Amino acid sequence: MGYSLTTLWYERQRYFPAILAVGFSSLLGCLQFGLLLGLFAIVSIPIDNSRADIWLGAPQALSVDLGRPIRESQAVDRLASNPEVDRCETYLQGFAYWAKPNGGMELCMVMGCRLDDSSLGRIKQLTPELHHQLTEPGSIVVDESDLSRLGLKNIGDTAEIVGNRVRVVGLTKGVKSLAGPYVMCSVTTARSLLRLMPEQITYVLGKCHDPADAPKVVARLRAQHGTDISVFAADEFSFRSRWHWLTKTKAGFALGYAAVLGLLVGAVVTSQTLYAATAASLREFAVLRAMGIPRWRMSVMVMTQASWVGVVGVLLSFPAIYGLSKVADIYGVQVLLDWRMVASVSGITLVMAVLSGLYALRSLKYVEPALLLR
Amino acid sequence: MSNPRYFCGSLNQSSGVIERLCNGGEPLRLGETIMQADNLTRGFGTGSQFTLAVDHVSLEVLSGQFVLIMGPSGSGKSTMLAILSGLLKPDSGSVYCLGENIWSLTDIEREQFRLDHCGFIFQGYNLFSALSARQQLEMVATWGNHFSQQEARLRADGLLERLGLGGKGHLRPSELSGGEKQRVAIGRALIKNPNLLFADEPTSALDWTHGEEVVKLLRHLTREEGATVVCVTHDPRLVPFADRVFHMEDGHLVRQSYGYMSHPEEAVLPLPEPGEILPGPGDVVTFRPRIAP
Repeated sequence: MGYSLTTLWYERQRYFPAILAVGFSSLLGCLQFGLLLGLFAIVSIPIDNSRADIWLGAPQALSVDLGRPIRESQAVDRLASNPEVDRCETYLQGFAYWAKPNGGMELCMVMGCRLDDSSLGRIKQLTPELHHQLTEPGSIVVDESDLSRLGLKNIGDTAEIVGNRVRVVGLTKGVKSLAGPYVMCSVTTARSLLRLMPEQITYVLGKCHDPADAPKVVARLRAQHGTDISVFAADEFSFRSRWHWLTKTKAGFALGYAAVLGLLVGAVVTSQTLYAATAASLREFAVLRAMGIPRWRMSVMVMTQASWVGVVGVLLSFPAIYGLSKVADIYGVQVLLDWRMVASVSGITLVMAVLSGLYALRSLKYVEPALLLR
Repeated sequence: MSNPRYFCGSLNQSSGVIERLCNGGEPLRLGETIMQADNLTRGFGTGSQFTLAVDHVSLEVLSGQFVLIMGPSGSGKSTMLAILSGLLKPDSGSVYCLGENIWSLTDIEREQFRLDHCGFIFQGYNLFSALSARQQLEMVATWGNHFSQQEARLRADGLLERLGLGGKGHLRPSELSGGEKQRVAIGRALIKNPNLLFADEPTSALDWTHGEEVVKLLRHLTREEGATVVCVTHDPRLVPFADRVFHMEDGHLVRQSYGYMSHPEEAVLPLPEPGEILPGPGDVVTFRPRIAP
C-alpha cells in the first residue's frame, strides 16, 4: 500500500469530509442528470416504444410532440418510393385540450396509430387487448398515473377533447407524461380530436427490410427533398426531441446548474481538506526537503491522495445513487441511470478531485526546511 | 581558500582503511577537513529591528568528528547550523563542504548536494504520524536514493535493527517512546548513508536516559561509520561525548574546546598549522574571530 493510501486510511477521519463531498458531488450529478434524462425520455416515448425505423414529418420538426400537419399521400409516396423501405403507415400526434368531467381543462398529447398487430406506431405498452378496444371510435386509453390529473376515476369514465366525447376503455402502465398526459387512440379518433382534415397526418412511419438501412434512406430523402420535409432515423429523432427540451427549457438548465453547484461544493470541501491535511504535515515535508528530496515527490503524494479521495468518494456514492433512484421510482419519478451518463459524471467528479489536489498543492509552497532550525 | 580538497570517510577500525569515498571518488581520510566556514554573517529583520544572528564566524570541521555548536538561546547556533547545512543563505561568507562552495551552487545543485551527502535530525521528531517506523525510512530511500521498494525495506530493516528497533518497524510514532521516535528520526537521516549529519537539539525532548542513548548513538556513528556529526545543543551533558565544541554567544564564535572525555587514541585531532600548539583534550581555548566585526 502506498504512502498516500496508508495516510488516507490512518487519517480517515480527517479525510472523511473530502470523501463525503466527492461522494455528494457524484450523487448529486448522477441523480440530477438521471432525473433530466428520465424527464426528457418522456418526450420520446412515442419513438422509443414504437417499431418504426424512419419518421417523416413537416419541415423543421424540433421534437416529436411538436409535429405539424402534412399531406398524407405525398408524404407516404416519398417514403415508400425507397426500395429499402418495407412498409409505411400514418401516425398522428399533437396537443389538444382535455375537458375534465368535473370541470377544468388540461393539456393532453393525443397519439393516433394503426391498431393492427403489425402496427409501427403502436407503443409496446398498448397491449393487444387494449388496441382491440380502441377500434371503437371515440375510445381512448390513458396511463394509470394520469387518472387524477385528467379528472378520471375508473375505466369507462368519459370526458371531452375539443368538443368530442371520449371514453376511457383501458389503462397503460409506465407511460408517464411531461407537458400533458398521453391519450392513445386510433388514427380515426385522433384525426377528429386533433381537428385534422382527412388528407392530413402528422408523421409517416417507415419500416426498412434491414433497420441498418434507415440512415441511408434518411440521407437520400434529405438530398431529394431538402427543407420540404423533416426526416429522421428513429434514434436520431429520439435524441433530437430530448435535446430540444433539454436546451429549450429552463428546467434542463436548472437541473444542470444544481449538478454543477454540487461539483463546486465538492471541489471546495475537497481542496480545503487536502490543503489542511498537507499543511498539518509541513514540518515532516520540510525534513524531507532538507534532506534534498525533490518537491515534486511531495506534490505527487498530495495528488495521489486527491485521486484516492476521488475514487473512494465516487465508489461510495454508487450504492447511494442506486438506492435513491429506486426510492424515486417508488414515487413515480424516473431516474434514468444510463451507464454513459454515470461514467461521465464519475469522470468529471474524479477530475474535480484531482484539480482540488492541484489547488491544495499551494500549501507545499510553505515548506521551508530552514524554519525547522529556529 | 584556493582549490580546497576535503575528505571524509568511514574508518574500518581494525584495518584503518577508509571505506567511504568522497565526491570525486577519491578515498576519504578521517580527521581531514570536511567543512570550512569562512567569515559567515547572517542578519534578520530591517531597520531598527535588524539583528545580526551570525557575526563573522569562521570554523572548521574535521571528518569523522562529533562536533557540538553550543550557546545560550539567541546565540545564533541554529542559524549557524542552517547556513552550514545549506538551508539558509548567509549574507556574506562561504561554506566549503566536501570541496564544494555550497553557497555558490544553484538551488537545484545545492538540493542535490544535500540529497547526496546530508542527513538531518531536528528538535521535534517530525515523523509522519500515519507511517510505520519502517515506512519513514523507506520513504527517504525510495524517494531520495531511488531504491526499489524491496531494497529500501531491506536497508530500513537493517538500520532499525542496528538502532535497537528490530521488531518495531511496523509501529507508528504514536506507539513508540520518545527515545524510540528520535532513533527512527536518526534512522531516517542515516538511511541515505550521509557523509554529514546535522542535528538540532536532538536530546531536548528526551529525558537523560533516552538522551544519552541518542548521543552515544551519534558518537558511535562517527566512530564506526566515519560520518561527521554537527550538533547544535545547549545541553552541557553532551560535551563529554564530543570531539570538538564550538561556543557561540551573541552571534560570535567565542571559543572552541575539546570534549572532556575524549581520549587521545579516540579523538580526531585537527591537522596542526605550522608552529601551532594544539590544546589537549579537556583544554578550553579562546577562539579569536579571523576577521573582527
